[in-house]
Amino acid sequence: MLNNQKKSMLELEVKNLNKKFGGLHVLKNLTFGIKGPELVGLIGPNGAGKTTLTNILDGAIKPSSGTVYLNGQRIDQLPPFEVAKVGLGRTFQVTRSFRRMTVLENLYVPALAKHVAVDKSEVMRRALEVLDFLTMDHLRNEYAQALSGGQQKLLELGRLLMLDPDIIILDEPFAGVHPKLMEIIYEYIRKVNAEGKAIVLISHQMDSIFSLCKRLLVLNYGDLIADGEPEDVKHDPVVVDAYLGKDDDEDSKSTNDIKQNST
Amino acid sequence: MNRQQTLWLISILIIVFFIAFPFLYGRKDYDYIMHVCITGFFYAILASSWSMLAGYAGQFSFGHMAFMGLGAYGTALFSHYFYLSPVPTNLCTEFEIGDQYFIIKNAVGVTSSTLDQDCLTKALAVWDGSIQITPMPIWIGIILGALLGGIFGLLIGMLVLRLRAAYLALFTLGFSEILRATISAEIKITRGQAGIELPYLFENGISIFGHEFSKTDKIPPYYVMLFLLLACMAVLAWLAKSRFGLFVRALREDEDAAAALGVNTVRFKIMVFVITSTMAALAGAVQAHYIGIITPNNLMILQMSLVVAMAVIGGLENFAAAAIGAIIIQFLLELLRESFVIGGVEVDMTLWRLVFFGAVLMITLRFYRNGLITPIIEFFTRAHVASETVEKRGFQKTEDVE
Repeated sequence: MLNNQKKSMLELEVKNLNKKFGGLHVLKNLTFGIKGPELVGLIGPNGAGKTTLTNILDGAIKPSSGTVYLNGQRIDQLPPFEVAKVGLGRTFQVTRSFRRMTVLENLYVPALAKHVAVDKSEVMRRALEVLDFLTMDHLRNEYAQALSGGQQKLLELGRLLMLDPDIIILDEPFAGVHPKLMEIIYEYIRKVNAEGKAIVLISHQMDSIFSLCKRLLVLNYGDLIADGEPEDVKHDPVVVDAYLGKDDDEDSKSTNDIKQNST
Repeated sequence: MNRQQTLWLISILIIVFFIAFPFLYGRKDYDYIMHVCITGFFYAILASSWSMLAGYAGQFSFGHMAFMGLGAYGTALFSHYFYLSPVPTNLCTEFEIGDQYFIIKNAVGVTSSTLDQDCLTKALAVWDGSIQITPMPIWIGIILGALLGGIFGLLIGMLVLRLRAAYLALFTLGFSEILRATISAEIKITRGQAGIELPYLFENGISIFGHEFSKTDKIPPYYVMLFLLLACMAVLAWLAKSRFGLFVRALREDEDAAAALGVNTVRFKIMVFVITSTMAALAGAVQAHYIGIITPNNLMILQMSLVVAMAVIGGLENFAAAAIGAIIIQFLLELLRESFVIGGVEVDMTLWRLVFFGAVLMITLRFYRNGLITPIIEFFTRAHVASETVEKRGFQKTEDVE
């Protein structure tokens, strides 16, 4: 749709990454890699360090130690705008559209920021393609503040298409979204991934994570406690104990056990 | 003719009106009205450039009048201390440049005929009219003043990179007050509260199309300030339409999100400070040469408040609205000077006009957050958007059904 060129060298490499805020050790010696157009889920309980990891990957905060390489280039010391140009794009947990700018202007920003010498009519054409895909063409001249919460999420996704990064981190893309818009986001993820981009999906909606992702990374209090295929991770006792919990039968069984023991 | 074209036509008519105005107006108070216009144009440059800084880029700086003052004092000090002389004074610091001597006058502060005089005055007394010294061309002073404003804009822009909202406002307010206090305190160099005199814009008069204008005539400075305003507006319009305008608005909305999308927010923040402070300094330098004197009181917070109020009442997020607002407010403030009597009580409008002005500001902030002029402009530029959205949505639904 937007850029069908397959990236020859898509590789994110995180090595021994640590982040401390004062005495709080938020990320502990994380090491993992993403090779090629993978669709990876990043899950974990609140406070696990998912957003901190995203902020480090995106350049918004610097790690205490460790390195991050994207496509062979070290990015952990770069400012966010350079990380974006190297090829990493992200959305935010709370939608951050440019509210007093039109939908089209929102889309122009990343395209014009990344490509210094670009034909404006080409940017316009791409922006209209993106809006068509997101079923938001009729809203092109509206201010972003006039959009619903779900539409603003779509707009954020649209901006990433205009940025055209190699790897995309989606932070809670399904939170508070109407089922119909959710379908569009599902389609977006699959399509963008099929076009050769790697996607890291952060979500608490396990159904979405398990149906979309081929690999899961599980964080718990700064530790990477699991890294593998969804089915394996689902039954990993450490993950079950830390985040997923036991299924209903086991839960009710344990509850009954507790009740019996107490009586 | 569509609404966009109508807006263009109105804009051109307004410009033509102001160009023709000095020849259309013929009442007794001609000089006074011309002065109000010139001052209105001056404030329009300040309000529109501040609108770019605060309205477009979201950098609520209260140091704009300080940059204006830097421009004014830059050119004032330049024209006050530097001269060219065909012979050396042997009293001042001087350098030989070609067949002339570049003279740097010593600073003696406020003087009178009974106090110690500066080196050049002493030399002139010795020469007794036999030697003619040449003051520096004022356009060089104006350019240097504008550059000085730009350099300080760069420094302040770099210093406030990490400051937002109230912290930025307080920092720039502090800078403005420090500058004013320094100028007031450095009496020897700046003559403190007494102010420093400058040559007029056309000190030796000017001849235009065979018509001689004296240095105090209003028409030449009227056109200088009008064309300076139009030039600034053209630059601001170009910036607003370019990537620059798009990116500074993005950083106003959300700096982190803009950076995550590839915008070098640091660079654009500094650029907007440099450009707008240069404009303010340029306006200050020209206005100082028009008035003929600059004092530290011109940098007072009250003056800054006036610029802020003009931009807010006109429309903070539209530089043209801010400029129009400034001119209207300047005229209103002058027209409201007329005191009147109600029921035997005289209302002294020299004081009450400020109350009126404050009330307009409060009403604008409460009911018209985009200012009073911006909605008019948006009527021409954005009125079609709602119907377009509805129409397109209808079309989309029809397609879905098919």
